[in-house]
Amino acid sequence: MLEVKELHVRYGNITALHGISLNVAKGEVVAVIGPNGAGKSTLLLTIAGVVSARQGDIMFDGASIRGMAPETLAARGIVLVPEGRHIFGSLTVSENIGLGATTRRDRNQVPADIERVLDMFPVLRERYRQRAGKLSGGEQQMLAIARALLARPRLLLLDEPSLGLAPLIVRQVYEVIFELRRQGMTILIVEQSVHRAVAAADRTYVLNSGLVVMSGRSAELHGTAAFDAAYFGIDEPAGGQ
Amino acid sequence: MIFLQNAIDAISLGAVYALAALGIGLIFSIMRLINFAHGELIMIGGFTLYGLAGQPYLVMALAAVLAVAVMALGMERIAFRPLRNANPATLLVASFAVSYLVQHVILMIFGSRPMGIDFLPELGGSLEFGGLRLPKLQLIAIVATIALMTSLALFFRYARTGIEMRAAAEDFTMARLVGVRANRVIAVAFVISGVLASVVSLYLVAQAGTVSYKMGVNLVLMAFVASVIGGMGSLVGAALGGFLVGMLSASLQAYLPVDLRAYRDAFVFLAFISFLLWRPQGLLVSHADQERV
Repeated sequence: MLEVKELHVRYGNITALHGISLNVAKGEVVAVIGPNGAGKSTLLLTIAGVVSARQGDIMFDGASIRGMAPETLAARGIVLVPEGRHIFGSLTVSENIGLGATTRRDRNQVPADIERVLDMFPVLRERYRQRAGKLSGGEQQMLAIARALLARPRLLLLDEPSLGLAPLIVRQVYEVIFELRRQGMTILIVEQSVHRAVAAADRTYVLNSGLVVMSGRSAELHGTAAFDAAYFGIDEPAGGQ
Repeated sequence: MIFLQNAIDAISLGAVYALAALGIGLIFSIMRLINFAHGELIMIGGFTLYGLAGQPYLVMALAAVLAVAVMALGMERIAFRPLRNANPATLLVASFAVSYLVQHVILMIFGSRPMGIDFLPELGGSLEFGGLRLPKLQLIAIVATIALMTSLALFFRYARTGIEMRAAAEDFTMARLVGVRANRVIAVAFVISGVLASVVSLYLVAQAGTVSYKMGVNLVLMAFVASVIGGMGSLVGAALGGFLVGMLSASLQAYLPVDLRAYRDAFVFLAFISFLLWRPQGLLVSHADQERV
């Protein structure tokens, strides 16, 4: 469904991605992990059309989407929950959720979908008329995911959904991710904290300094010495291909 | 009684400044552009009225609204869209360029002397109201401003496009990520800004009875001051700032010693500078800027 080919991205003079290739099949959950500064967020921002690539290509459903505007990609079903959540703090919870449905053509089904996400995140129902800026960090993360779901994403991009959240909240967020996985949603998830992401994903890519240093089925990768070496960038022969 | 009279003058001037400040604040809140060419939108409205002098007033007014809205869209399309990702200083300079260009094109065509035009001269009169003389034009300005602001508030609160615009004003990239079309919200913002500018032109022409290529310049400067006082990026702030500056200006006109009245604007700007020393961020801080800090 998604195929990233030899992607090069630069910010000014700093190269953030040095030729990354990865793919995500329909219905698959794929994790990209790696330390801070590995280029994980840049990868998602490039797929979502916020950052433009210098070289390489991004294919979605077999067609190139490189260079398309974020709103065009959103309309095609590529939906990003960015790092730091980026909810609209001055708008109400209800308006935030409603904005998630901006690209929907089947307007008559939107109310039912809103009900569904409110059942998924009961906290949001309690705070439906409040300003989103007043929510706690965990509630904002749930709102960001709820807003994304309203778009009925075909490919959901999650950037560090556990960042800065209390362990209990992280567990709740991942329960939702597991539920979405059960429903067959295609998800590309980026994480710094390895364990949950790898547990949730079918396959994992390890990114370091703008390169894919390792990839494979999550179950086979996790816990091996080579995996740790790749993650921390220690010079050791990498395996697990 | 004289106080009430002055109060109405003050409020109506405040209303006009508020409309101009809202036009500037709206564009700024969405694309961080301080559009000094807003004054030329007002001026184009005036010249549209001039060009159609003699037609029914309603035709003149509607044509002016339409012409200014089209002009605003054109400015965006030709001058500002290519610079959308440029930094705010570049955008500001571009808006000065547009402003001078439009002024000088009009100067070349019509010359520099103000030209007289009859537009709704009936509004020059007053209503007598228990000893109080209420100038009709001022009353209409106040009522029109309240009506426009109420409809804008409803639009931003309930219309889908209005909510999309608030989202875009707070976090433009995120708004695009949920599918808000950048070109569309910016175009709508320019159209609204143009409509607000055209209403200001209607008022100015009805009040002064003249048009000139510089008719928007002073007003837009005051409107800019007003939007800074209100807090750049906050629409409620822009409206509030407009009322405050207009009311201050009209009150100075009424209460300064006669010898000093010619220097009214100097006092306005003195007050502005003192205000900035006290509260440089403006009265209301927009959410987007709060987060950026």
